[in-house]
Amino acid sequence: MKTDVLVVGAGPAGIKAALTADRAGADVILIDESVFLGGQLRSQTQYFSNLPKNIDSGLGIEIYNELENQLNNSNITVFTNHTMVGSFKNGNIGVSNGEKVLEIQSKKNILAPGAQEEALIFPGWTLPGVMTAGAAQILVNREFVRPGNEAIMVGSNIFALEVALLLQQCGVSVKAIIEEQLNIQCKDTSKLGEIGNIPIFTSSRIKAARGRGKVEQVIIETPNGENELYVDLICVANGFRPILEPFEILNCEFTYKKGLGGWIPKYDNRFLTGNPNCYVAGNAAGITDLGPILLTGEIAAWNALGEIGLVSSIVVDKKIKNLWVELSRLEDEYVFKERLNLINNTSAIKY
Amino acid sequence: MEIKQHPILEKTLQDDIYFYFNDKKMKAKKGQTVAGALMANGILEFGRSRKLNQARGLYCGVGRCMSCYVTINNQYHIISCTTLLEEGMKVYSNNSDPKVGRDVIEN
Repeated sequence: MKTDVLVVGAGPAGIKAALTADRAGADVILIDESVFLGGQLRSQTQYFSNLPKNIDSGLGIEIYNELENQLNNSNITVFTNHTMVGSFKNGNIGVSNGEKVLEIQSKKNILAPGAQEEALIFPGWTLPGVMTAGAAQILVNREFVRPGNEAIMVGSNIFALEVALLLQQCGVSVKAIIEEQLNIQCKDTSKLGEIGNIPIFTSSRIKAARGRGKVEQVIIETPNGENELYVDLICVANGFRPILEPFEILNCEFTYKKGLGGWIPKYDNRFLTGNPNCYVAGNAAGITDLGPILLTGEIAAWNALGEIGLVSSIVVDKKIKNLWVELSRLEDEYVFKERLNLINNTSAIKY
Repeated sequence: MEIKQHPILEKTLQDDIYFYFNDKKMKAKKGQTVAGALMANGILEFGRSRKLNQARGLYCGVGRCMSCYVTINNQYHIISCTTLLEEGMKVYSNNSDPKVGRDVIEN
């Protein structure tokens, strides 16, 4: 199977990259290992407003629906339930649905596998009823299932608070929010107001979770001593880190950048990785917010289009310049600084 | 533990669908994953870990942690959180190592 651009991962970055390439006249194949498109955005009911100028503010799922709508009106070939499983010696990419392997020959690849939630290890962490905050959000918003009746949330970043709030709205009694650090991590004061009645324990951690076959009890260590709570749900919001396997398969180089989520593929100002045919986009290029995620997809796509020769370099340069200006405006200052730092150290890669 | 009235989303899942978990007939909604359907029926323990025989269930919800393995249509180690439920599906717990070698010989 031949194509101009193969996009791996159909979250917001991958969809945006695919749409950008499609509109410029490229043949595009978009694959995702899930049966659902949209990644986590598909399951998000929080409101997003800090977005690129051609995208309306709205709930995550509304923004996803608009992207899906655009996908349906495009010429993009979409394969859901297909995982990138390897590369051939000639550089072609193997994609499988678990039954057979498709060999895809593409001129350029854009890898947007996204991020995974970081697990948190404590005695009892594998008991059913312990799950990531993202999993709880999926259960509520996509599966229409209440994941428990009495819960605690571990972590106090904005995602933790959003999911805690969502659980409460579904009738789950959220008994506590546990934060290991000295201070609450979420900087959005309006979110803190909304969760007003949930007690927050800072400088605290889970000592253990107990139960027969499922979570029944959790013991938390606080500065004022130990606290036993009877819960059937422990949600863990321990941050995100980039997914690396597709980059490992394609022999990309890696570097460690704490401010971008840890180990990350090296890339230059074109979002080109250590493999000259592979671009990176989205959270895999550094953990960030929805607006910047969409922009990185667009930047990677324009660069790929320019390299293939479908768009003149003058047009590409102009597009990229504007997108970088927008990225600097939308992205968290510290994350953007770390990104520039990575890019400046990477431009030395020679192919 | 089904959510009939969602606090934010107007459109919920409508159509009923039936499946079997360890030979017990259960009801779920069309559009749910196997993991979602099990949890909607109050089942948190999907199986047991192979080495320490501990309970395992849904953890990451996105097909990466491999905690939610089940057996479907005689195939072991199916990731239940990324597999859509189908009418009449027969889902079994993964409670030990698969009997792959023996199956191959028998067939």
